[in-house]
Amino acid sequence: MAKIELIGVTKRFGKTTALNNVTLEVHDKEFFVLFGPAGAGKTTLLNNIAGIQIPEEGMVKIGGQIVNQVDPAERNVAMVFENYALYPHMTVYDNIASPLRSPRYKKDEGYIKDAVQRVAALMKIEMLLERLPSQLSNGQRQRVALGRALVREPNVFLMDEPLAHLDAKLRNHMRSELKEMQAAFATTSIYVTHDFMEAMSLGDRIAIINNGEIVQLGTGDEIYYMPCNEFVAQLMGDPEINLLSCRLVKGDGGYSVVWDEAPEHRMFMPANNALFDRFEKLSRADIHMGIRPQNAHYHFEPVEGAIRGTVYAFETIGNKSVLTAQIGDTHLRMIAPNGLPVNLDQDVYVTFDIDRAIFFDAGSTEYIGRFDEAAIRELAAAQAKEA
Amino acid sequence: MAKLTLKNLYKRYDNSGKKHKTVNNFAVNDLNLDCRDGEFVALLGPSGCGKTTTLRMIAGLEDITKGEIFIGDRLVNNLHPKDRHIGLAFEDYAMYPPLTVYENIAFNLRAKKVDKAEIDRRVREIAKLLRCEELLNMMPVKLSGGQKQRVNIARAIVRRPELLLMDEPLSHLDGKMRQAMRVEIKRLHNEIECTSVYVTHDQLEAMSLADRIAIMDLGVLQQFGTPMEVYDDPVNEFVAAFIGEPPMNILKTKVIKHEGEFFFTFEESNLRILVPRRYYNKVSDGMLVKMGVRPMDLYIGGADSKGTPERVAMFENLGDERRIGVRVGDNLMMLITEDETRYRQGDVIRLEVNGEKTHLFDIETGDRIRSGQ
Amino acid sequence: MTAQKRLYSILKNAGLAIYAIFALFPLLWMVLLTFKSDAEMLTTTFVFHPTLVNYEEVLLKTDYFRYIKDSIIVAGGAVIISVLAGVPAAYALARYNFKKKEDIAFQILSFKFAPEILVVLPLYMIYDKLGLYDTYFGLIWVYQLISMPLIIWVVRGYFEDISVEIEHAAQVDGYSWWQIFFKILVPLIRPGLVASALLCFIFAWNSFTFPLLLAGIKIEPITVAATKYLAQNTVHYGQMAVAATFSALPSIIFAICIQKHLVRGLSFGAVKG
Repeated sequence: MAKIELIGVTKRFGKTTALNNVTLEVHDKEFFVLFGPAGAGKTTLLNNIAGIQIPEEGMVKIGGQIVNQVDPAERNVAMVFENYALYPHMTVYDNIASPLRSPRYKKDEGYIKDAVQRVAALMKIEMLLERLPSQLSNGQRQRVALGRALVREPNVFLMDEPLAHLDAKLRNHMRSELKEMQAAFATTSIYVTHDFMEAMSLGDRIAIINNGEIVQLGTGDEIYYMPCNEFVAQLMGDPEINLLSCRLVKGDGGYSVVWDEAPEHRMFMPANNALFDRFEKLSRADIHMGIRPQNAHYHFEPVEGAIRGTVYAFETIGNKSVLTAQIGDTHLRMIAPNGLPVNLDQDVYVTFDIDRAIFFDAGSTEYIGRFDEAAIRELAAAQAKEA
Repeated sequence: MAKLTLKNLYKRYDNSGKKHKTVNNFAVNDLNLDCRDGEFVALLGPSGCGKTTTLRMIAGLEDITKGEIFIGDRLVNNLHPKDRHIGLAFEDYAMYPPLTVYENIAFNLRAKKVDKAEIDRRVREIAKLLRCEELLNMMPVKLSGGQKQRVNIARAIVRRPELLLMDEPLSHLDGKMRQAMRVEIKRLHNEIECTSVYVTHDQLEAMSLADRIAIMDLGVLQQFGTPMEVYDDPVNEFVAAFIGEPPMNILKTKVIKHEGEFFFTFEESNLRILVPRRYYNKVSDGMLVKMGVRPMDLYIGGADSKGTPERVAMFENLGDERRIGVRVGDNLMMLITEDETRYRQGDVIRLEVNGEKTHLFDIETGDRIRSGQ
Repeated sequence: MTAQKRLYSILKNAGLAIYAIFALFPLLWMVLLTFKSDAEMLTTTFVFHPTLVNYEEVLLKTDYFRYIKDSIIVAGGAVIISVLAGVPAAYALARYNFKKKEDIAFQILSFKFAPEILVVLPLYMIYDKLGLYDTYFGLIWVYQLISMPLIIWVVRGYFEDISVEIEHAAQVDGYSWWQIFFKILVPLIRPGLVASALLCFIFAWNSFTFPLLLAGIKIEPITVAATKYLAQNTVHYGQMAVAATFSALPSIIFAICIQKHLVRGLSFGAVKG
């Protein structure tokens, strides 16, 4: 049993506040992802749990015990560092064996040998055991670092951007491998990342952190479909969500929206009382409509209700491409298949799946709602039950 | 503006074999390349494949061991770089630090003694094109990475080169900036239509920018074609594995015949995948071959599927798509779908392949085995 | 092309050979002197009658080995003190942020700036008053002024190259600070520590001004003792050459042993990766 609780944790470095009154609970055996931009305080949070840093205010609890005054060596946490932090003068074998040779977790050499072999097999680095870290590729070093953390049975497993320094191909591959191994961890894990795909793929739950504060907490689906504000919506998704400045128009017993860049097009909304009630309460008529790139569609012929623009860019992001249309001063990203025959600056007609749109308050940038919110809440509830 | 022709180009270093794996110390080995007037060509390959050496030979910064380089109809083998009418934009932005951006851009024109009013007109025109007008009076140290690269490119094209050479100009930039600059370079090329050669190791960059991509490995040109040609119709295993993200699943397989139908089978796995019909005259019972299929071209079969039931080893929900991994021996076979179904580790699915998009490679040479005649 | 390259290589090697002769000739000449009798001392030909009489005079008839012992004690003592105090100082300068950190670091280095002759006179007065004059401790104390800055600056660079996460990782792995220091950090700074310590030893060994003025009666390091062969009215060049040759031996032996370490150890960044 090792749940982790942070209660009102504040950490300052001189005049800057790295963590501001963070309260957080990570369940036992949960794979928890901390996701945020660079400098948000993710690593600081991890260091405070590991005991490498000590908060100025607040409490850190591991397994119900307050550990503020406990040395890192006594907290029984394992950590993977962004730069791997392997001991350069030790072989891979000795690196992995190191925790089991420390006075705190001392085991006999026979046990160590078995344990190292076990994690080496798990990490597929059996043939590297005699090498020095300098003789390894980045991907291999990363596996050794994971192995060193996995070799004993810690209360908590902390990972600080372990995939950040790998190239895109290897990063995707390692992320999938990590996902597959996840079941084998069976330990409370906290994983720090600034990569949307890692957060989405790996996290049982995700905490979005920005400027030292937790902005939103929930499952991947919850945050992806119901981001609490525009910042989170932009962070969760690659390519980034399109945010369109619109005006709400009421009439005919329902609502429609008009995008500022295309005032002649009135987009009618399907009836949805829950959402319309929230619109009623808004103090202003302007609104931001968030359209994910896969919910905007391009046509090369005029289509009923489509908005005309020109092709600004077309580029592949791997298994698919992004077509960027310029409409007025706005660049609108849409998913397209690879190899679409398209010329820059040619005409393009755009339609939206308005029933998949996410609406934000134009003033506060906070989440208002979406049409299929009920279905998503149901999905989230089912996921929570399963976990 | 001119076309570029490389004829049987060789580059041999005395000791290059020590640094990179090359065939007989040839950093570039019998390279033939024809770039059309106004075309954007990417030289793509892993580090040490000879792409930068090739570019440097075109620029005249490197001796040519053997072969000929034509810019337009001029043989330039023995011309000094400054006489080749080329513009260079390299990885490390070598700007003159004590000069303003304006003077940096104007530097080459001044060296050529172009008339003052003309210089001013051209600098401002280029600055407008590259959207760096507001930077003109700044010093290079004050610029961000993206701005420096913009100025760097401005400097390369201000002398109206016949050929623009770029060597990984974006490799120092971080993700977002890089993507933005990529779009700008593409749009710039669309506007000035200058024949361009662009060296990169990033296949996404090459796929997004280039009209045609020349893929090199160990100094040898592997394939030269449009992005879609190299993506959909790779000539060998190297190209197939290098292009595409996530990469193509390439697995060693043994073909077996069962009740008149051929199946791919795999070592240490009971996975069976039906061989597409079009390969039936190429495969035989017991044949060893490599099968390649992109993650998007794998499907989850319905109840009537002839594929074997397989356990889901890995399921990732990535928001707009879902990735499913199935263990095949040591390999994780990936499948990407936009289907909204959520799977869990251990769920059973049946795999099928899109026959049109499946490739076979020779087990020894890695060469493509094509279907049909 | 190749002919040009060959010519270039010949010229380059010839240049290096000339420089090597220029640099090594005094040493060679010194060794030759040790085998010459006083009568032949000033001839400049390489033809002479080799004799071992100088060796006999110096090694058997004087206190030569006592001088060597003195040199070893003071130079060795200085290096040991510098290592014991310098390594923690270097660690602190590399890892902790405190007020005036860079000023202190520079201050330490600045000990090496002043010409020895400048500080030696006030030191003489102080030593005389404190009773440190002509003691082992006195000499060790002044020698560490030479060796400490070098050790601190070299080792600090090494500590800075070790990412702080490595220490964090070891903490999390269950090691205490002292165990981390000896198990992880010391092995990583060893090349720099060995190289700088040996270099310090050589500097201290070769030091002349300090022992000449701050010792010389009870304690006579070899450099000072060598001057004894400048007798009142005659100069025994041969004997001096023997003394000098022997005193140079440790430096030469060390230099050969640690050649690899010296080059690698004094160039920072050797532990990255």
